[in-house]
Amino acid sequence: MATEYGPIIIVVLIVLAVCLSFSIGANDETVAPLAAAGTLKFKFVLVLGGIGIAFGMIFLSEGVASLVGEKILGPGIKYTIFMLLSVLISSILWLVIGSFSGVPLSSTHSLIGSIFGVVIVYALYVGNVDLATAFNQEKLMSVVISWFISPLAGLVVTYVLYKIIAKFFLSKLKGLNQIEKNESRFTWALLASVFFAEIWVGANSAEALGILYAMYSTGEISLVTYYLFVVICGIFAFLGLYIAGRYVIRNLASQLTDARPSDGFIIQLSSALILMVCTVVYSVPISHSHVIVFCIIGMNIAQKKEVDYKGLGKMGIFWVLTFPIAALFAGFLYFGFISFGLY
Amino acid sequence: MLEFDEDTLKKKSIDELTHLFMDSINEQNLKLIEGIEYLIEEDFDNFQKNLDYVIQTTAEVQIKKRFEKKIFKSKKAAFTKADRLKLFSKINDMKSIGEFLARKLLLYRVIFPDQEFKVRLEVILNSLKNISNNLSKAVKLIGTDLIKAHDICEDIKEERREMRKSEWALLTRLWNYDMDYLSRTFAYLKDLLEGIMMLADHIKTFSESIQFLSTKYLIFK
Repeated sequence: MATEYGPIIIVVLIVLAVCLSFSIGANDETVAPLAAAGTLKFKFVLVLGGIGIAFGMIFLSEGVASLVGEKILGPGIKYTIFMLLSVLISSILWLVIGSFSGVPLSSTHSLIGSIFGVVIVYALYVGNVDLATAFNQEKLMSVVISWFISPLAGLVVTYVLYKIIAKFFLSKLKGLNQIEKNESRFTWALLASVFFAEIWVGANSAEALGILYAMYSTGEISLVTYYLFVVICGIFAFLGLYIAGRYVIRNLASQLTDARPSDGFIIQLSSALILMVCTVVYSVPISHSHVIVFCIIGMNIAQKKEVDYKGLGKMGIFWVLTFPIAALFAGFLYFGFISFGLY
Repeated sequence: MLEFDEDTLKKKSIDELTHLFMDSINEQNLKLIEGIEYLIEEDFDNFQKNLDYVIQTTAEVQIKKRFEKKIFKSKKAAFTKADRLKLFSKINDMKSIGEFLARKLLLYRVIFPDQEFKVRLEVILNSLKNISNNLSKAVKLIGTDLIKAHDICEDIKEERREMRKSEWALLTRLWNYDMDYLSRTFAYLKDLLEGIMMLADHIKTFSESIQFLSTKYLIFK
């Protein structure tokens, strides 16, 4: 029965993966500080961001995609198309709920949570696989640990970077003219750091490409088709940022007009460094939103500004809940498919 | 009367235009104070001349227009734009208060009740002159030295505190004269003192906002 629907499900999966890439671009706010600086034309900022995210997705995402799409699983398990469909539906559903509740949820956490849920159900009801060997324990642990370490690392890196720049540079500026002149130089540094960050945002966006890689690793699509769709996903991420992302970016940029480009530069550089290390060295998918939030907290602590602990607490609750709820969603969904003989 | 060449204004930076605007308004403040001093001396001609100057001078409108054009078009330093605009509008408010006081003072020619009142008013006017000049210095230092600007504003606040004591003492004296409280002299002197207080209070609030800017923009080791 499953094979009858096979081609249709593959098409659906590819379409969803491409749509997910579009939504990754549409929800990306990395370029907002650059738009707020007002030095460059808004369209140019969008194009720059789009190129960055597409470049990262097309050329640098394979490590993270292969972890999500293959390496995270144990030796006796391979994805089935219905597992992937459950993963995608569950991650999308949880993200939609998050959007309505107004909390920035991590699509990465919800994806890995969903994978966890379907793999458990598969191991228990389909593959008769020992739960201890259902996952590549080392990889799974490295992913989970990176979720705790990456935001904290973002906080520390931002704090230290700000303190160094403030001590040797910013504290020497005495007048508003000097500050403005200096900040206009930082605008170019901000441009470079935003582009750098965008590349790693694209490279670490495992959601869509992980699904495609899973299809490739199970032989559902060929290597050429996989690369073709990686390019298409990159293009759609670009389009998502350029067409739909502009509203979020414009809205956020209008709230950031008071922000100094040097602050934006430090935050973006820190988050980009964390993303780069996680992507290149460890090949683990992390949440860019969580890293950036903690970078902002690091900046606020360094500048002795107030931190919104209440908002942070709310985010923390959703952060903790994302993984188990996505796992439950996906698990139940896949169990539903199994009940109809769709493995 | 001050007038500026449009081409000269065009060449000036946002900071230079702010300085020019501040100079123009401070000059009008000093003319107003000098005018009140003429009133104390009962030199009504010069009093009228000085106050007319305050009312009729419109050079600052030229600077304001040029400043607004420049700042709205400027792509540089978006993060300071709002503060630069606020700064400018606070200088502009000083003109409005000064002009309002000048128009009010021209409604009548008052004769002061006694010498003591005149002496005390002169002390207050002297303080007003000091804080106005200091404010002008502080505004000009915003571009180059926010720490100095902050310190000058502290002096302004201190002088304003002292001024307030003298003003209330003078108001108390005014209310205790054997005078009909509906008389024009009483109403005029009351308005004069309140007008001076209003201007001095604005200068104090302005200096506080300069201190806020120093706190906002300076980064200490």
